[in-house]
Amino acid sequence: MNIDQTKPLEYGTHKNEMNILGFWIFLGAEIMLFATLFTSYFIYENRIGSGPSGAEIFEITPVLIETIVLLTSSFTIGLAINAMRLNRTKATLWFLAITLVLGATFLSVEIYEFIHYYHIGVTLQTSGFTGILLTTLGTHGAHVTFGLFWGIAIFLQIKKRGLTLETANKSFIYSLYWHFLDVMWIFIFSFIYLKGMM
Amino acid sequence: MKELFPIKQVNGFIFSLLLTVIALSVYFMDMSFKVGMTILLITAFIQAIVQFVLFMHAGESEDKRTIFTTLYYSALIALVTIFGSLLTMVWDMM
Amino acid sequence: MEFFERFALPHPDPMIYASMVAIVVVSIAIVAGLTYFKKWGYLWNEWLTTTDHKRIGIMYLISALLMLFRGGADAVMMRIQLSSPEMEFLNAQHYNEVFTTHGVVMIFFMAMPFVIGLMNYIVPLQIGARDVAFPRLNALSFWMFFAGAMLFNISFVVGGSPDAGWTNYFPLAGNEFSPTVGVNYYMWALQISGLGTLMTGINFLVTIFKMRAPGMKLMKMPMFTWSALITNVIIIFAFPVLTVALLMGTLDRQFGTALFTTGSGGMDMYWANLFWVWGHPEVYILILPAFGIYSEIISTFSQRNLYGYKSMVGSMVLISLLSFFVWVHHFFTMGQGALTNSIFSITTMAIAIPTGIKIFNWLLTMWKGKIRFTVPMLYSVAFIPLFTVGGVTGVMLAMASADYQYHNTMFLVAHFHNTIIPGVVYAMLAGLTYWWPKMFGFKLNERIGKWAFWFNVIGFVLAFFPMYLTGLDGQARRMYTYSESTGFGPMNMIAFVGAGLFAIAFILIAYNVFYSFKHSPRNIGDDPWNGRSLEWATHNPVPAYNFAIEPEVESSQAFWDHKQKKHNLFKGKISKIHMPNNSGIPIIMAGILFVFGFSFVFSIWPAVIIAAVAFFACMIYSSFENDQGRYISEQEIKETEAKFGGDSK
Repeated sequence: MNIDQTKPLEYGTHKNEMNILGFWIFLGAEIMLFATLFTSYFIYENRIGSGPSGAEIFEITPVLIETIVLLTSSFTIGLAINAMRLNRTKATLWFLAITLVLGATFLSVEIYEFIHYYHIGVTLQTSGFTGILLTTLGTHGAHVTFGLFWGIAIFLQIKKRGLTLETANKSFIYSLYWHFLDVMWIFIFSFIYLKGMM
Repeated sequence: MKELFPIKQVNGFIFSLLLTVIALSVYFMDMSFKVGMTILLITAFIQAIVQFVLFMHAGESEDKRTIFTTLYYSALIALVTIFGSLLTMVWDMM
Repeated sequence: MEFFERFALPHPDPMIYASMVAIVVVSIAIVAGLTYFKKWGYLWNEWLTTTDHKRIGIMYLISALLMLFRGGADAVMMRIQLSSPEMEFLNAQHYNEVFTTHGVVMIFFMAMPFVIGLMNYIVPLQIGARDVAFPRLNALSFWMFFAGAMLFNISFVVGGSPDAGWTNYFPLAGNEFSPTVGVNYYMWALQISGLGTLMTGINFLVTIFKMRAPGMKLMKMPMFTWSALITNVIIIFAFPVLTVALLMGTLDRQFGTALFTTGSGGMDMYWANLFWVWGHPEVYILILPAFGIYSEIISTFSQRNLYGYKSMVGSMVLISLLSFFVWVHHFFTMGQGALTNSIFSITTMAIAIPTGIKIFNWLLTMWKGKIRFTVPMLYSVAFIPLFTVGGVTGVMLAMASADYQYHNTMFLVAHFHNTIIPGVVYAMLAGLTYWWPKMFGFKLNERIGKWAFWFNVIGFVLAFFPMYLTGLDGQARRMYTYSESTGFGPMNMIAFVGAGLFAIAFILIAYNVFYSFKHSPRNIGDDPWNGRSLEWATHNPVPAYNFAIEPEVESSQAFWDHKQKKHNLFKGKISKIHMPNNSGIPIIMAGILFVFGFSFVFSIWPAVIIAAVAFFACMIYSSFENDQGRYISEQEIKETEAKFGGDSK
């Protein structure tokens, strides 16, 4: 296997480069997935049947907490990659751990938000609008949940094997995923919540 | 310790918080729908660019042309899908 | 007993029971045969766990051919039912099921795997690579497609077939009008195989971007590889739309959401919108590789360089973009305003321009060429006029105001079969015949192939051209019968005869495989067609490592120029080659997804949860697995090369 010493570890082999490019292309598909959900959301936004509208159910506090937590986690995973490039295993693990804790916090607030919706009678079945709202948020939440498990797997692998060509590559790809979820959240925050509350 | 917090990323983080605050103005201040949407569109897309370029290092590898083409292509098709569907199903529905 | 009642058939019929018996008998025969001949180990080690792109390609092709016969049987049943007025061969319900499964099987489980199978086999060879970028992911893609196909195919014996058309429009496909589990099968079979297809798309893009032989710039790639590249771009951006649409459909049917309903703020036609946002690009996912295959074949058998290489590439790029701009033309009559219809009418017609460019390029490639009329070339030559007719009727349908007349008539059915059959099916048959020696080391018999070709073309024309006429006269599609006073009878009888000839053509093709396997000479050499691109620069059949020495390319006709201009393709020396290991994980994961999908169809939640957990456990297992692949030693390569004729080129 040819290892290119001039590049950061995660780009070190041809295989690693292919993994990263492949993941970028996957993110292209993910953009389209979320774009379709947004399309659907905009279509159903005002189709509320006999249910409530967005303005009636959205609350700024949990949404703001979720946004800031996720933005911060996006920052910390960036720091983890920076630490990884400095070959500081321990710092990498710390930043990764902070990211995961923040991710879990985000998820808890989102679950709280869903329970709140349930209590005020907003469910998947209420109307076209609530159905697509919860589907879109749920898809993002499912991505975050998957990301948490993935992050734990990577944490364990770095701990076990150190920063190798493979773990560095996986961590970098994981950081791409996590940043991407943050981007999608920004769009949800702006075009679902803020637009709805405006 | 200092090298663990590179200035580029710290600035990026502060900038993204700032963008969030600007976006929040549409909630806390009274403004027309048009102005509000313009603010949201601008802040959201700048946020996305900050993340993609600053944090995700989209431009650093030798595949950056492929990566940016993917992003542009998906953005274009996403916009066509969103606005085409809105036109067909909502705006131009009799 | 209550638990098992859900698996009962809602609309039983002697034919279905007969198929049930046939399925059980054939399954038992296969299992018994494998056990008797002690082939389980061979099957598992050499095929089921393989990560070799060539074997995966062949498995795709076998599945596609099986599905072709399944979808073909559906087609013949429909033609029998419509052959004369007031026919009572199928009742309305069964006719609905048959046209639904015909469409789904032919598009998803025949055309898609056929295209992807050929891409799997040929693209890495054409770019001089040893495998695809992610061999194990490739195996997972295949097995997910296969799980989806099997899930769809058991529907008609367990719980009932979907019956809302392959387009599955709501509210017809909703719980109210489709209360059986049929449409749930549709949702999950397509979801599972669709995700597999998306992964194929990523895999091939990375392969083509990152694994080309030295010297092969993008603009020096063979045309089939170019078409594969563009196709996979479309796959990546189109399939997520289908994923969301199917998710929303599942939520509506199994979780009571109000998305595609007519009350509570639902919007039934939004399904149609999403379906076609995916569906129209899907058409180009099928046709572009076909264009690539025709380009290869026409150039090879005219013995000339492809005319207008750059315009070929440019037109495909343009088609890939435009394909996302036209979807509304599938429902011009929904009730949207004239502005929308005008926009989509114009974008639709615009696609005729790049397509027309390609037609002229093929004609000009043949111009002054020394044409050899082999079977692949015959299909390619027949394609040009027949596809043009299909394209021109497409422009007729693109005129929004006129479409009110044609919409949902047999005219439309004739149009899309006229593009898909000469466009895609002929290309697949031509490509299969053309690359057959590459895969198996012998040619298909030309004489039987030509008979099959003529049956195919005459059968096609007789089967589908009458539909243009009855369609213009007002025969609606998907109607299971008509009265004699409509006057549709004679034309439909002609179509029935055509379908019969068409069926004979496919039986001849199957017979040809059998005949050639027994009788064709095996000493055809490495380059039986006098080919032009890199796949012909290695042996027939291809050794596991594809190329003993990585080729170096100087032109877009790499192998041709190697022969004509004495370009040296193989400059290096033989050294050990890194290969991926086999893995059982893909087939296990796909098996789990099958259980997941099946349980979800019947809302058996404990099984759904167990399968989901098992699936993620597999992912974690493979994440922690440390698989570095294996090496084929220099010695072994030299021995293999010696077996193929001694020279270590």
